[in-house]
Amino acid sequence: MPEQVYHNILVQNKTAKVKKNAKKTLIYLLLSIYAVVNIYPIIWMVLNSFKSNIDFAKNPFSFPKEWLVQNYQTAWETARLDVYFLNSLIVSTIAVIFTVFFGALASYFLARISFKWGKYIYSFFIFGMLIPIHATLVPLFLQMKYLGLLNTHVGLVLPYIAFNLPITVFILTSFMKSFPTDIEESAIMDGCGVFRIFWSIILPMTRPALATVIILNFINNWNEFSFALVLINEESLKTLPLGLANFAGQFTTNYGAQMAGLTLAIIPTIIIYMILEEYLVKGMTAGAVKG
Amino acid sequence: MHLFIQKKWPILIGLAPALIVYILFAIVPIVISFYYSSMEWDGFTEMKFIGIGNFLEIFSDKIFWQSLKNNLYVVAASIFGQVPIALFFALLLYRKLRGGKFFRTVGFMPVVISTVIISLIWGMMYNSRRGLFNQLLTATGLDEWTQNWLGDPKWAMISVCITIVWQFVGLYLIIFLAALQNIPREIFDAAEIDGASGFKQTIYITLPMIWETIIVAVILCISGSLRTFDLIYVMTSGGPGHATEVMAMYMFDQTFSSTRYGYGSAISLCIFFFSLALIYVSNLILRRKTV
Amino acid sequence: MKKFKFLYYLPVVLLLLLTACSGGGNKGASGGSSGGSGEKIELTFWNIWTDPSPQNEASLKQVEKFMKEHPNIVIKQQNIPHDQYKVKLKTQAAGKQLPDLIQVWPGAELKPLVDGGLVQPIDDIVSNWDGLINKEYLKDYNIDGKQYAIPANVVPTSLVYYDKDQLAEAGYKEFPKTYEDFKTLVKKLKDKGLIPIALGNKAQWVLQSSYISTIGDRLTGSDFLPAVLETGKKKFTDEKFIQAVGIIKELSEMGAFNEDFNSIDNIQHRDLFTLGDAAMMIDGAWSLGPVLEAAPDKNIGIALFPKVEGGLGDPSAVSAVTGTGIAINSELKGEKLKAAKQFLKGFYTEGYFKELMKAEILVPADIEAPSDVSPLLKEVAEITSKKIAPVYDATLPTEITDIINAGLQEVSLGTMTPEQLAQKLQGAVDKQK
Repeated sequence: MPEQVYHNILVQNKTAKVKKNAKKTLIYLLLSIYAVVNIYPIIWMVLNSFKSNIDFAKNPFSFPKEWLVQNYQTAWETARLDVYFLNSLIVSTIAVIFTVFFGALASYFLARISFKWGKYIYSFFIFGMLIPIHATLVPLFLQMKYLGLLNTHVGLVLPYIAFNLPITVFILTSFMKSFPTDIEESAIMDGCGVFRIFWSIILPMTRPALATVIILNFINNWNEFSFALVLINEESLKTLPLGLANFAGQFTTNYGAQMAGLTLAIIPTIIIYMILEEYLVKGMTAGAVKG
Repeated sequence: MHLFIQKKWPILIGLAPALIVYILFAIVPIVISFYYSSMEWDGFTEMKFIGIGNFLEIFSDKIFWQSLKNNLYVVAASIFGQVPIALFFALLLYRKLRGGKFFRTVGFMPVVISTVIISLIWGMMYNSRRGLFNQLLTATGLDEWTQNWLGDPKWAMISVCITIVWQFVGLYLIIFLAALQNIPREIFDAAEIDGASGFKQTIYITLPMIWETIIVAVILCISGSLRTFDLIYVMTSGGPGHATEVMAMYMFDQTFSSTRYGYGSAISLCIFFFSLALIYVSNLILRRKTV
Repeated sequence: MKKFKFLYYLPVVLLLLLTACSGGGNKGASGGSSGGSGEKIELTFWNIWTDPSPQNEASLKQVEKFMKEHPNIVIKQQNIPHDQYKVKLKTQAAGKQLPDLIQVWPGAELKPLVDGGLVQPIDDIVSNWDGLINKEYLKDYNIDGKQYAIPANVVPTSLVYYDKDQLAEAGYKEFPKTYEDFKTLVKKLKDKGLIPIALGNKAQWVLQSSYISTIGDRLTGSDFLPAVLETGKKKFTDEKFIQAVGIIKELSEMGAFNEDFNSIDNIQHRDLFTLGDAAMMIDGAWSLGPVLEAAPDKNIGIALFPKVEGGLGDPSAVSAVTGTGIAINSELKGEKLKAAKQFLKGFYTEGYFKELMKAEILVPADIEAPSDVSPLLKEVAEITSKKIAPVYDATLPTEITDIINAGLQEVSLGTMTPEQLAQKLQGAVDKQK
């Protein structure tokens, strides 16, 4: 009977909908737990940045008894944030730009062009990801001393570029390799040179990976400590992590101010992430060859 | 690898900037530090050549092997923790979901926070007397499950691993998201027409398409976990005993505390070769799956 | 696409910016000495005075004072946090790039610098402090008969801080005089639901510096370490030392410490004491200032670790080390060397010591304490003035210190026996010979 069938379909649709809603609710529940687990430390840090040491020792997990906004001023002064912040910004940004630019260029050739030494050079870059950096502190120091680059921003930027190239090349190469082979063919037939293809076709398509490596590089450079400690002596050139370390003495620590300093320190990273976020989720965009 | 170019010079130009900086400021220091590994040197007095003396000592050094074992825990936790969890959430988040952007951003936050904060707050949560975890267990009547998470040698390494996994899931999340965005819509449309949907779609279509990226993630995991240092250094300093000491920390200790540069450099060399071996093996295993 | 074109020019612009900034930085550095047509002498100086403690404030002020009194000498300071100081010092030492004046730690930390010829002796000006500084305290900075630095403070590393009220409630109006009595006190405090002794041994040095340095001394006597290291007449495997390590094991097994003692650090264990969760704390004199500041109303008493039955050591001895010494780079000569020596003379003055005492720091000088110094500090000065025992990490080579630090942590957890630790230590000593 048609009504029976119709009725069954309705019921089926309803159960399907209920199932779908249940699934959706479950997904949102999972995601919410995930969100809380991830963001709680930041909230904790910001809350605690307003506490006094005693308050922090007594109640590390609750709201501040007194909101000590002066912790931020203390942080600004103790960590010399005005100078160090700018230095970190300069060094990190410049290093990131060069790393990504050089890295993308090299990745393009390693991923899209066949040539004899390709595989070996690629492996050569990968080796760089396997070295614990503390082993290179002394040699790097001696090297920079020899080159007269101690106490300069250039002397810090160069190792940053060098040590971030492996992971940059690694990620970009993998990403570029996944493009279909016919992408370049029409361009070549139009007479485009290799570099033109790189710039106008491949690079835009690599946007998500580029965004990824830019963020990664920035975080690495922004938080980098050991090289900065060893290669920079000049107060006016020091970077942020060095300033932030000032809060923990051998026998005393000003936790509140330390948290204030750390809160200030993560703001640029979050900003950079926000800016690049949209590129992360854009897929292959116009400019590619349509299937 | 697609194009064959007649002239070689574009390749040279493309690779040169990256190679030059990389060789000069990463490879050279690394090679110098490997040179130190054949010496007995305390950094202050003269170097003494002892050939493979350091390596023989490493062979019988119980602490080194303990640190190696600990590193393997981290590698396992990373590969079997970070990758699947990141994959799971990436699959949830890359479709159009209300608030997707928010969850993505929040998921990335742990990567941005400094290790000082992470170790402080997780240290407090793990605290056996007042920590969050034990309090929750007691509140739900599961008293016997409470542990001295960081102070008990049996549990310390596991606890630390959980924190490490938590910190970097966000990173792999955005890498997987970038890769998922790359899959052309046409493929999914074709699959829908063929009748495959939902879960089946995921297993048979999505996963194979991003298999290369999964390999990338695993390799990043391995290289990262074998060099892990910051978090453990601040959280437990390698204790209790040497229960959470990892190779990079042992190297750091030997180099800067016991001032045995030669021995420390020898350990770095071991880390390097071990990483190489592990990556080679995993590459073999994983690539067999790509048809 | 247009966005990318812009990025293309950006590197060039930034490179120019970078050079300008580095150039500016360098100019700043040379500005100091090129402005020296008025014969200004510039000395670089590294220290660890980064965190805002009263002691650091006093030291920083002293440098300012010196510069005001000697306008032709400019001290360019670099303040590096203590935890990173070692790394920086050792890296730059390897490159022979040390500053003119360096803050140094005594004994085992100073020796490599001397062996490497990186610092020079100051024997010619030591007499400047005759009558001000007790000669006993100069020994820590004396290697092979030559003096390399002057101490600014004396740091007993092992004082028992206790809450007088909490102990009275447990029936102890006076601090126990023997170890056996001490154990009874621990049991009584535990019965009252308090943590008997707060301990934060995450960094591993607390059990060594604050506990074994004095407990060991109680049992072995103060000539033990030199005998082990130099003459070999005594060994770590001697019964008395093993007994000392056994005390730590005993205290840990009877639950004298807070449960998380190996996962919190020394700053956090101090909080346990100041908040009243723990009745006692065995810590160094460095905690005196912070404790008084955090809990001004607490009825605090200070005592030495009690006498142990059968011990060879003097029960009034306390492990102590001197600190805040400044050494001179061995490459300094001529005008700069004169200026450096002048700085040392102008820095370690009676005024400075008085300021330190106001910051609750013990000084190696024989001077009257200023009136506004807390009575507790005077008490501490009194009980620590009898006999000094060596601190293990200032006397032992760093490798052996590492073994004992990690080892004591394991003993306290029960994963290593005192005998095993003793054997490990003796093995390392024998290897060094």
